[in-house]
Amino acid sequence: MTTQQPVLIVMVEDDDGHARLIEKNIRRAGVNNEIRHFPDGTSALAFLFGPQVRAGMPILVLLDLNLPDMTGTDILAQLKADEHTRRAPVIVLTTTDDKVEIQRCYDLGCNVYITKPVDYDAFATAIRQLGLFLTVMQVPSA
Amino acid sequence: MTSGSFGRNILLLMIAGFAALLVTGATAIWLVRKTAADTELVVHSQTVQNLIQRIFSLAQDGETGQRGYLLTGDAAYLGPYERATAGMPEALQSLQRMTADNPAQQARISDLTSAVQDKLAELGQTISIYRSGRQAEAFAAVRSGQGREAMARVRAAVGELSRAESELLGRRSADSAATVSWLLGVSLAALLLIAGVAAGSLLVVRRYTSELHRAQAELAQANTGLEEVVAARTAELVRANEEVQRFAYIVSHDLRSPLVNIMGFTSELDASRQAIARQFERLAETAPGLVGEEAKLAVEEDLPEAIGFIRASTTKMDRLINAILKLSRDGRRTPTPERIAVGDMVAAIAATLQQQTSAAGAEIEIGALPALVSDRLALEQIFSNLIENAVKYLDASRPGRIAVRGRAAGPRIVYEIADNGRGIDPKDHERIFELFRRSGAQDRPGEGLGLSFVRNSVRRLGGTITVASAPGRGSTFTLDFPRVLQRSNESLAA
Repeated sequence: MTTQQPVLIVMVEDDDGHARLIEKNIRRAGVNNEIRHFPDGTSALAFLFGPQVRAGMPILVLLDLNLPDMTGTDILAQLKADEHTRRAPVIVLTTTDDKVEIQRCYDLGCNVYITKPVDYDAFATAIRQLGLFLTVMQVPSA
Repeated sequence: MTSGSFGRNILLLMIAGFAALLVTGATAIWLVRKTAADTELVVHSQTVQNLIQRIFSLAQDGETGQRGYLLTGDAAYLGPYERATAGMPEALQSLQRMTADNPAQQARISDLTSAVQDKLAELGQTISIYRSGRQAEAFAAVRSGQGREAMARVRAAVGELSRAESELLGRRSADSAATVSWLLGVSLAALLLIAGVAAGSLLVVRRYTSELHRAQAELAQANTGLEEVVAARTAELVRANEEVQRFAYIVSHDLRSPLVNIMGFTSELDASRQAIARQFERLAETAPGLVGEEAKLAVEEDLPEAIGFIRASTTKMDRLINAILKLSRDGRRTPTPERIAVGDMVAAIAATLQQQTSAAGAEIEIGALPALVSDRLALEQIFSNLIENAVKYLDASRPGRIAVRGRAAGPRIVYEIADNGRGIDPKDHERIFELFRRSGAQDRPGEGLGLSFVRNSVRRLGGTITVASAPGRGSTFTLDFPRVLQRSNESLAA
C-alpha cells in the first residue's frame, strides 16, 4: 500500500480459526502490513475510536457481521458516521450471502462485500485475491 | 326437541287430523243419507195423510151427490157421486199399498174400506130406489140412518188413520230433526278437532322453529368463537413457523462458520503433510536408514486417508446445511400469484430434459393442463423436480412413459405426473417427502432433497401432494392446488 505511513489492517472477527486462515492467506499474497485482530465488537470499537486512529493512522477494516456482542453492521454504521473513520475502506468478510444483508452493508457505505466460501480452495483464493487487491489500493489517512 | 321427535309429533298430528277428517266425512255421508231417508219417510207420511183426506172427501162428495139428487131429482147432481165411486177403489188401493209396511194402519184401512163400501152401497141403493120412482122409499132409507151411521164409521176410521199417521209423521219429523242436529254436532265436533290438530301442529312447529333459531344462534356464536380460535391458532402457527425459519437460518449460518475452519485447517494440514512427505522423500534418497516404516506409512497413507474422510464429511455437511438454508429461504420468500399457463411451463421443462429423456429412450406426454393463478417460481420448481425424478428413476426393462395430466375440480386444480418407472415401496410413501431421505436402489446421485423441497413449496402454494405407487409398476404424483392462490394465504402458508 503506497502511503507514507503503513496501513494498519483492523480485522474484526470472532472466530479465531477464521482470523488465522485469513491472515495466512493475506500473507501468502505478499501483504506484510500489520494486522490487528479483535474478536468482538466492543474491543474493536474501543480501538477504532481510540487515540491511535484519531492521530491519523491510515486503517483498513476487515469486518465480520456475526459477532457475539453486536452485529458488524452496527460497527459499519458507526464507522461511517464518524468524521475520522468514515473514509477508511471497509471490507465486509462474512459467511452470510443473504441479499438483504448485502444491500444493507453497501447502503451503509461498505466498500467491498465478500462471502467466505466454505470450500477452502475457494476461500484461500478469495482471500489471496483480496490480498493482491490490498497491495494496489490507496488508503486515505484518517 | 330433537328433529326426530319433531317429525314424530308432526306425523302423529297429521294422522290424527286425517283420521278425524275421515270419521267426519263418513259420519256426514251416513247422516246425510239418513236425513234423505227420514225426509222421504216424512214425505211418505204426508202423502198417506193426503190420501186419507182424499178418501174422506170422495166419501163426502158421494154423499153430497146423493143428497142433491134426492132433493132435486136432477141427474146432474149425481156428478160428484159418480166421480167418487169411480175414484174410490184406486184411492183405497193406493192407501193400502203405501201403508203395506204398517200392520196397525192396515187393520184401520180394512175398517175404513168396509165403512166406505157400506156407505157407497147405501148411496147406490138409495139412488137406484129413487131412480126407479119410489121416492118415499128412498127417503125412508135415508131416514133409517144407515147411511149416516156408515158415514160416521168412515169419519171415525179416517180420524184414527189420520191421527196414527200424524203421530208417525211427528216421530219421523223428530227423527229427521235429530239426524240434522247430529249432523250439525258431528260436523262441529270434527271442525273443533281439526282446529285443535291445526293449533297443535302450529304449536309444535313454532316450538321447533324457535328451538331451531336458538340452536342456529348458538351455532353462529360457536362459529364466531371457532373463527377467533382458528385465527389465534393460525397466528401462533405463523409465529412458530417464522421462528423455525429464523432458527434454521441462524443455525445454518452458525454451522457454516466452524465448517470453514474444519475445511480450512484440513487443507492446511494436508499442505503440511505434503511438505513432510516431500521431506521424507528427500530423506529416503539421502539417508534411507533414518526413515521409519511407521512414520512413512502415517505420512503417505494414514494421514491422506483421514484427511480424505474429513473432507468428504465436511463437503456432505456443507451440502446438508445448504439444503436447510434453501428450505428456510424458500419459506421466507413471499409467493407472488400470477396467471400461469401450466401447459407451456411443463412443455418448457420437458424441453430442458430432452437430452436425459432421449438418452433413457423415454417419452413425456403432456395432456391438457388447466391454467391457474399461483407463484411461478415455486410451481416451476415443483414440476421440474417431479418430472426430473420421473426421468431419473425409470425402469430400464421397458421404454419410459411419463404423462403429465391435469383437470379442474371445482375451486381446485389437480395435476398428475405419472410414470411407468421403478415405483416406490408403499412403506416409503411418506418417507420420500422427508428431508435427506431416499427410497429404493441408491444407484442415482441425489441428496434426498427434491421431494422435500417440492412438498414444502406445494404447501406454501396452499396445495397438497400425494403419491400412488407400487414397486415395478410406476408412480403417480398428484398435486392439488387452489385455482387462485390468495395473497392473504401467504402468511398462513409461509
